[in-house]
Amino acid sequence: MNPKTLKYIVKRLILAVFTVWVVITVTFFIMHAVPGGPFVGEKAVSEAAQKAMEAKYGLDKPLFAQYTTYLKDVVLHLDFGPSLKQRGRDVIDIITDGLKTSAKLGLIAAFLALIIGVVLGAIAALRRNTFFDRVIMVLTTALISMPSFIMGTLLLVAFAIKMHMLPANGSTAAGLILPVITLMLYPMSYITRLTRSSMLDVLGQDYVRTAKAKGVSRLRIIFGHALKNALIPVITYFGPMLAYIVTGSLVVEQIFAVPGIGRAFVNSITNRDYTLIMGTTIILATFIVIMNLVSDILYKVVDPRITLE
Amino acid sequence: MKKILALALCGAMALGLAACGGGSSQGGGEAAEAKPINVCLASEPATLDPHLNSAVDGATLCAHLFSGLAKWDQNDEGVLEIVPDCATELPEGVVNADGTVTYTYTLRDGLTWSDGQPLTAKDFEFAWNRAASPALAADYNYMLEVVKGYNEMWETDADGNLVNPDAKLAVTAVDDKTLEVTLNNAISYWNELLAFPSYYPVREDVVANEAWATDPSTYVNNGAYTMTKWDHNSLITLTKNENYVDADQVKMPEINFYLSDDANNMLTNFENGDWQLIDDVPTNEIAALKDKYPEEFHVDGQLGTYYVCWNVNEDILPADSGLEGTEAEKAREEIRNAISLLFDRNYIVESVAQGGQVPASSFVAMGLTDADGSQFYQNAGSSADFDGYYNVAADALESNYNTAMETLKKYYAFDDASGKFTNFPTMTYLYNTSEGHKAIAEYLQSVLAGVGITMNLENQEWNTFLDTRKAGNFSIARNGWLADYNDPISFLDMWTTASGNNDVQLGKGANVDVKAYSIDLTDLGYDTKVENGTWAETYDVVISDIKSCTDMEKRYALMHKAEDLLMSTGTICPLYFYTDLYMLDDSVQGYFQNPLGYKYFMYCEY
Repeated sequence: MNPKTLKYIVKRLILAVFTVWVVITVTFFIMHAVPGGPFVGEKAVSEAAQKAMEAKYGLDKPLFAQYTTYLKDVVLHLDFGPSLKQRGRDVIDIITDGLKTSAKLGLIAAFLALIIGVVLGAIAALRRNTFFDRVIMVLTTALISMPSFIMGTLLLVAFAIKMHMLPANGSTAAGLILPVITLMLYPMSYITRLTRSSMLDVLGQDYVRTAKAKGVSRLRIIFGHALKNALIPVITYFGPMLAYIVTGSLVVEQIFAVPGIGRAFVNSITNRDYTLIMGTTIILATFIVIMNLVSDILYKVVDPRITLE
Repeated sequence: MKKILALALCGAMALGLAACGGGSSQGGGEAAEAKPINVCLASEPATLDPHLNSAVDGATLCAHLFSGLAKWDQNDEGVLEIVPDCATELPEGVVNADGTVTYTYTLRDGLTWSDGQPLTAKDFEFAWNRAASPALAADYNYMLEVVKGYNEMWETDADGNLVNPDAKLAVTAVDDKTLEVTLNNAISYWNELLAFPSYYPVREDVVANEAWATDPSTYVNNGAYTMTKWDHNSLITLTKNENYVDADQVKMPEINFYLSDDANNMLTNFENGDWQLIDDVPTNEIAALKDKYPEEFHVDGQLGTYYVCWNVNEDILPADSGLEGTEAEKAREEIRNAISLLFDRNYIVESVAQGGQVPASSFVAMGLTDADGSQFYQNAGSSADFDGYYNVAADALESNYNTAMETLKKYYAFDDASGKFTNFPTMTYLYNTSEGHKAIAEYLQSVLAGVGITMNLENQEWNTFLDTRKAGNFSIARNGWLADYNDPISFLDMWTTASGNNDVQLGKGANVDVKAYSIDLTDLGYDTKVENGTWAETYDVVISDIKSCTDMEKRYALMHKAEDLLMSTGTICPLYFYTDLYMLDDSVQGYFQNPLGYKYFMYCEY
């Protein structure tokens, strides 16, 4: 690796750490500024009980002291603390449980989006301006413009409630089908369009024409020359796609009651489970920051013409 | 590069396959013995520590996992009763010279924990002190309020710091088999409390591990079942505890509690025959389900009231009313009570809420019993013609409306041409974000709009809503209350001045000095007779009298007086009594549930 690239990566890493720190700080103070608290319920607990709980979890200390203590615990000991609402469980356990489900959901969605997207995009490019191409273009445009909460609700009503074909609840294996579809449609459509346009671009290049003139077989041209180069932009989309899937899962997991990290995150906010809010925020923010970094680096790796600065 | 991509893809594929493969295997195979029952009550319980739990579904699980001094049971006639469990019997208490009451319990022989260790009276002594303690600060610590020593335990100084950090409850293990407990005064629902999860035993060395109740490997209990599996957010499995002293009576070998709060999903599984009991159904399907499954669709009472509460400090009089102090408050009482008469509770129940709820005309809910065992709400109010404080029958709607309009016309300018009031101040109705609450809010809004009263709607997210309502930053708000035990005091003591649940702000803020409340207890042998006193001088006094009253008849009479006073303020507008809807496979025998909604599966067979 050349020193320029290395310098770039180090710079980006420092920036990433800074970004996560900003996210932690902003979330921490905004979270405490929101009305309500973790120990509030329909039935009021006595003031003394409230105080006892606050003392137990250190919430009776000044906010800034709580912040520094938290930061110290997380940075030095990687300790996210106990959940304030699910008493007896540690935040890290809840996150690990949720991540297992979310990773399953996210990876399947990403994988399917990639495969289907590339295949559809390539076919559309090769059959340019045919009926098939048009249909794909119209469909993908529609799917890109449709937000996941609408798509999810539509699929839920159609397949789970009206037709009773698939479970509405995402806590079982079969129940993951609808959330996976909801989550993958947007990136799939995006990849389809990306692949199509870059494929068209490549197919018009001189070296493809040369290959054709030399009598290279059509299949070899497509797989050996065109697709390989057409996929460069697709690879760079990998990072943003995973980031999209992470944020999209917040909505999708809520709609289908998938017990993943996105749902834990949303519920933690409703419950004012401060430690869980912080824990999930840090994990998700770190993931997104890393994905963006990886994506930028990949860009460089697949296309040596690009210089990183 | 290609290799990396290929590897990544393979990885994703493998994960995908694993995901598809998991969960499809099932216990199959027709067992000759009793089959396990599959039920779904709610999503993941917040805790299965019986002392920390404050949810009904959690309590159901705890009732299967733990055995207290007493338990709920169903006798041969199908009548629910409280019977001894760990105790050999439930004796009467001995009244001491100072009015406190001491109970002495003998534990049965052969009591053990699920890990085989013997269970002793010491475990109960430890457990009750733990459940009540500020150190645990459980939501339901106040369930032990009746035990002597509780008040000292929670006594605070002016800064809110605990005065007696080492205080203990008056509960003593005299020996391994004898437990002695002293209550501040006699109460009618003591045996019922003994069956409440806050009174279940836990063992000191077990709960020393804070995470003990989150995993089957560390969960040690003494009830009919042991926890053998907890897949978080998915499934909890309870298996019959052979160490349980009454194991021979337990018929159901295994119970699977599926964790979901998705009503559509519950219904699908119920209709498939996979789940035998579901505790929720989709609201829009209720009517159809009632027809389709007349034998399997159940509506049970729930000891709860859905109501609208006013902020007592919100001035709803017209700007030029000229009324002040006591007179103004009395006028507001009249106005609020009049508005309560405008709503058609039958319409709300049948067309809006649609869950088999019962129109409410009193605050203390249906299901709570009076001194003679009859329904408390049927004896409420002063009318012989109807139950409670208003006539909520459909045919009384018109006369209610006329009465209300007559009252309101005394205070507000009325435009005969439009049939509307013209100077009623604009109000805002606060509710927590939910389709159901919104529908009811819109109905209330439309009724008031019909007489010229503008009520804007504002919804807030749950936690913010609780905060706003508690602080009294509202004019009218949605409210609801579910009792923890069958005694009307559980509905009444929440309105004392100092209570944390006094959302109406009675006796608080500007209301603290308002002398508009009257109470006369002389006919019950008390000295209290207040004409136009403050809330603290009247309501707080009745409640403290109720809490120290040892004569059951008198105590219930006092509770009726307290409710009369509360309802006279007009700040509470009850809409309906909550019900518990559930579906139960009709092949299941031996199922019952108690008035608190705890469901019992141990004697089930199907």
